[in-house]
Amino acid sequence: MTPPTLVEHFFRHEYGRLVAMLSRRVGVQNIEAVEDAVQSALMTALESWTIAGLPDNPSAWLFRVAHNELLGELRQQTNHRRIAEQNAKEDIATPENGPEVFLAGEVQDDLLRMLFVCCDESLPVESQLVLALKTLCGFDVREIALRLFTSEANVYKRLGRARSRLRKLPLRTGELDGEQYCSRLAAVSKILYLLFTEGYLSSHTKVAIRRELCDEAIRLATLLAEHPAGQVPDTFALLALMHLHAARMTARQDGSRGLLLLEEQDRELWDQERIEVGLKWLAKSAQGNGFSRYHAEAGIAAEHCLAPSFQDTRWDKVVACYELLERVAPSAIHKLNRSVAVAEWQGPLAGLSVLEGFEPPTWLAGSCLWAAVLADLHRRCGNAQKAKRYRDVAYELAPTPAVRQLLQRRLRNGRVTGV
Amino acid sequence: MPNYLCMQRSQPGKAKGERPSPAQMEEMYAKFNAWREKFQKNIIDMGGKLGGGKLVTSEGVTDGPFVEAKEIIGGYMLVSAESLEEAIEIARGCPGLVSPGSGVEVREINTP
Repeated sequence: MTPPTLVEHFFRHEYGRLVAMLSRRVGVQNIEAVEDAVQSALMTALESWTIAGLPDNPSAWLFRVAHNELLGELRQQTNHRRIAEQNAKEDIATPENGPEVFLAGEVQDDLLRMLFVCCDESLPVESQLVLALKTLCGFDVREIALRLFTSEANVYKRLGRARSRLRKLPLRTGELDGEQYCSRLAAVSKILYLLFTEGYLSSHTKVAIRRELCDEAIRLATLLAEHPAGQVPDTFALLALMHLHAARMTARQDGSRGLLLLEEQDRELWDQERIEVGLKWLAKSAQGNGFSRYHAEAGIAAEHCLAPSFQDTRWDKVVACYELLERVAPSAIHKLNRSVAVAEWQGPLAGLSVLEGFEPPTWLAGSCLWAAVLADLHRRCGNAQKAKRYRDVAYELAPTPAVRQLLQRRLRNGRVTGV
Repeated sequence: MPNYLCMQRSQPGKAKGERPSPAQMEEMYAKFNAWREKFQKNIIDMGGKLGGGKLVTSEGVTDGPFVEAKEIIGGYMLVSAESLEEAIEIARGCPGLVSPGSGVEVREINTP
């Protein structure tokens, strides 16, 4: 007998699916009971399936078990009796007569709805992110803490805040209306963007773990882009930028897990298929008059993906995209990145002049990146003393040994390019 | 090859591990299947968890023998092995069976 197989991440994604489906049925106010029921159903599945084998439809099996567990629990909670009865009337499910078939569209609706529920304006962004990771991606507190490089206590705190907000939502209005879908769309995009950059940019955790965050972000963003509530150019641009970055992710590390510079990367390793997907979404995003930061960032990523080599990159286009990015999302980091691109295009002196007279905010001035870029530009301009000063600062501020190694390689020997 | 009865016993007083996350469950599921495949020739009956029951004696039927028992038998399975040692190895390899809060009693079944 060959052991039955489940798709990768089956348990985690079923968790998200079930939490979304069940909390629509009984109200997000009961999110904790829902999550407990789902957890317990997955445990039951683990015990039962390992002995008896997989049922014909594992997802439907899980839904039935979790649904029954949840209704039982809600009936016991006397203060929730009313809700349980109200909702149970519609589809009181027993193992015998429980719903067997779910329309794919309905499940997508539920997942998307949960994503919008997570992006509640009255919650701090950190809480929204943690709630989404917990309910939609099926990570537990330990796993979230590891991925966001924060403490478990902190994750609990953020989660607690989110849950108490959900509990206080007026009963029966846990349903979102069309207007809320509209007004929360930007927050949803932002959370997905954050989720992705946590995975893509973090220099802290292992690459496989970070990759998982990127995959989750792409999964949810695809869901959004395929749903009427999320079909806007910004969403398409967001998805484009995710694919165009993810396509190059494996090439960012060498065999011994050291980080590689863009110019050192083996472009053969870039995932051409994914680049194609990204470019398709980018083309789709070019409609209407809107131009978001996602458009600008996807544009930059596309230039890198399309360039045959580092030297042959269309740096003028990259610079233009950074200028647009600064306009739609002003940030000192974009200015810094632009200076690097300008240096590639018109030389290090031109790069430095972008930053002339610019007072970086303290968070940037105290960062390794700022010091590294200045060290490089000054070195290339022949300002040895200034270069050394910034170089020492950059080494000292390097967040991880991998980053320090990369800096030492860049700042001592070769040319330096950020981006 | 003789058969062995493996009885899972919960060990009271020993803290159970934390609730596994869905990702960990997936890992456990994969490990379990790998274990089952490895010993498929030895596993005669996967058995299962044991539910509630009654104790039947010459004095009548009473509610479970379990009330007084400190170590409750939670499940069983049947394996065949060359020796008790091998049966122990098989049982020990079963993911989750031997863990904090749970142990396994392995007994040879003597058949004439």
